[in-house]
Amino acid sequence: MSHFRTICAAVVCKATYAVLRALGRGATSLPGKLALRIYPDYLSVLAQGVHTLVLTGTNGKTTSTHMVAQALENAGVEAFYNRSGANLIQGITTEFSIHSTIGGKPRCAYAVIECDEGALRRVCASLDPQIVLVTNIFRDQLDRYGEVMHTRENILNGLKNAPHAVVCLNADCSITASLARDIDNEIVFFGVDCEIYPERVEDLSDATHCLWCNHPYTYDYVTYAHLGGFVCEGCGYRRSEPQIAVTEILERGSNTCTLEMRVDGEVTEVVADVPAGYDIYNVAAAVTALIVFGFSKEEAFAAVGQFKHGFGRAEVFDLDGVPVRLMLMKNPAGCNQIINLLLNEPDEDMGIVCLLNDNDCDGTDVSWIYDAAWESLCTHKHTAICGGIRAEDMALRLKYAGMPDGGLHIVKSYDDLIELLAKQGHAVTVVANYSAMMDFRARLAHKLGRAGFWEG
Amino acid sequence: MAKDTSTQTLRICHLYPDILNLYGDRGNTITLVQRCLWRGIDAELTTLGLGEDADFSDFDLFFLGGGQDFDQFTLLDDLGIGKPNSKASRLVEAVADDAVILAICGGYQLLGDYYIGRDGVRSDFIGAVPFYTDSAPERMIGNMVFTCDDFDTTVVGFENHSGKTHLPPDNPEVSPLGKVEVGFGNNGEDGYEGLRYHNTFCTYSHGPILPKNPAFADGLLQLALSRRYPGATLAPLDDRLEDLAHDSVLKRLRG
Repeated sequence: MSHFRTICAAVVCKATYAVLRALGRGATSLPGKLALRIYPDYLSVLAQGVHTLVLTGTNGKTTSTHMVAQALENAGVEAFYNRSGANLIQGITTEFSIHSTIGGKPRCAYAVIECDEGALRRVCASLDPQIVLVTNIFRDQLDRYGEVMHTRENILNGLKNAPHAVVCLNADCSITASLARDIDNEIVFFGVDCEIYPERVEDLSDATHCLWCNHPYTYDYVTYAHLGGFVCEGCGYRRSEPQIAVTEILERGSNTCTLEMRVDGEVTEVVADVPAGYDIYNVAAAVTALIVFGFSKEEAFAAVGQFKHGFGRAEVFDLDGVPVRLMLMKNPAGCNQIINLLLNEPDEDMGIVCLLNDNDCDGTDVSWIYDAAWESLCTHKHTAICGGIRAEDMALRLKYAGMPDGGLHIVKSYDDLIELLAKQGHAVTVVANYSAMMDFRARLAHKLGRAGFWEG
Repeated sequence: MAKDTSTQTLRICHLYPDILNLYGDRGNTITLVQRCLWRGIDAELTTLGLGEDADFSDFDLFFLGGGQDFDQFTLLDDLGIGKPNSKASRLVEAVADDAVILAICGGYQLLGDYYIGRDGVRSDFIGAVPFYTDSAPERMIGNMVFTCDDFDTTVVGFENHSGKTHLPPDNPEVSPLGKVEVGFGNNGEDGYEGLRYHNTFCTYSHGPILPKNPAFADGLLQLALSRRYPGATLAPLDDRLEDLAHDSVLKRLRG
């Protein structure tokens, strides 16, 4: 009976997927949704025999997934990922289905799945993952009191449905690390032992007080926001020594960095294909997941030095010799991390372009740009180009942050902007919100073709 | 006319930046401070969070931003509504004493007499301005445009509220800021937005309101300056970028 239902679900899922694809539509959620309606246990059936890594947490899921994917690809292992970003149970079901036979037999030995925190409970119950990795827990843009603890609760409920998983936790995030107390799984901590930014903006902390006893935390060091060497002097809750850690930043480049990493007590120099900012947490996370998966340190380190960047996540294009780096800004907290990166940018001549749209997918309210710390950026940078539908709002924000009027340029057409950027004698960073990034990146890729991708 | 502006100082108090901090409203204090500094007027910004206090009579200008409905009630204790010499009672005095006050959204509602929630429960608010707010079943969200007669300008902003504010029909001291051209305004029914009472200006407009509406910002600063330095006037600023941002949004909204 269950085999019959598997076949029915598979046929519907695969057929819907094929039809949507043929129509040129994004086929991420609907096929899986229909299949689960036919057979609620369909995903559990498909997951049998697949070694699954589930990544969850507020930030860094996508970049970490790409790094892990690179290692699997290097090793020639058959694997699949939900790269499309559909990270709810329906989209995850679609990915598993298209990588299985009609009878529900997996075609790949490995799956790397990024999962929304709210969906983790159901996803873990179906997948029985081998590893669950939690990157960090932050509040999103407009989430307020209690929301952060609600996210923790969601993740905890997920972990309780993953009894066989090795759980990898960010040791530097007091909220994430606290999950270790509430579960019986084997725990592997990862973290960053040192400060990341010589100079950084003052962030709002999402975790000022101990979540066990409500005593204010003190810090040995802060990497950014509430992450770092936290200590509660009230109850003694403190950062656990991570098994896998970035111990020092040896060299900062615009697009790569050299790190010193400690894995089980042994220290190695590692070159990572990311700037020396918040992304080094993703390096630590990916290396941790790979080592728990059974890869060697060398294989893990190689992967973080050559992975393919995600959409607008420090992607670099070569525009007639001008390196153009794309950074996606989604909310004030994320924007502040980009500003941190720019404050510590080794290339002093790095130009700044800010693109702001207000389409529905971006949020029609652009006021959040006043909640990000552009003031810090304007102490270093005295010119910027602004574009996008709300270019004027962006330029005005920078003026009030202290950028001189004469340094602000508004360029509304992306073709004009690309032409202008090609004439710059230095690298530029384009900071853009979602639909502005989509539009600009498409124009840029169209102009450059595939050859435009920077081979790092 | 003030001859030596270097001696002029305006003291600005941002109330509850820790709680009333939604939707970039801090952009308003950034704007007030910058527009003073660009003119050579000293601007002292004091932030007063929960549990912090100061002598309110020192301040020329107060700012209250928006917060979530839930957060407003956590403030009521700290304000000490109905208690003598509380923050609430001193705000009532400041309003009556013609201090310049800008209050947005949740901060706007707090200055009124009371609020009736979705559950029908009434909460007493500061009562510095005679009006009340009740709640609508649907949130009123979107870009907004309204006229502001006092400062002879058209304001562009963004509203996001479920509270419906009702001004007293028979009190000439309380007047709406202006007429809604795009959006909902005070209650989505009578076509008016915001209010003015003495030198207190209330609006639902985020955006934040001041950067893109320099006439409104300068209107507030001029009132504060005149109150502190009788006869003093604001020097003009180069507002080409402000006007460009204002006009481009206005054009987009008028279609």
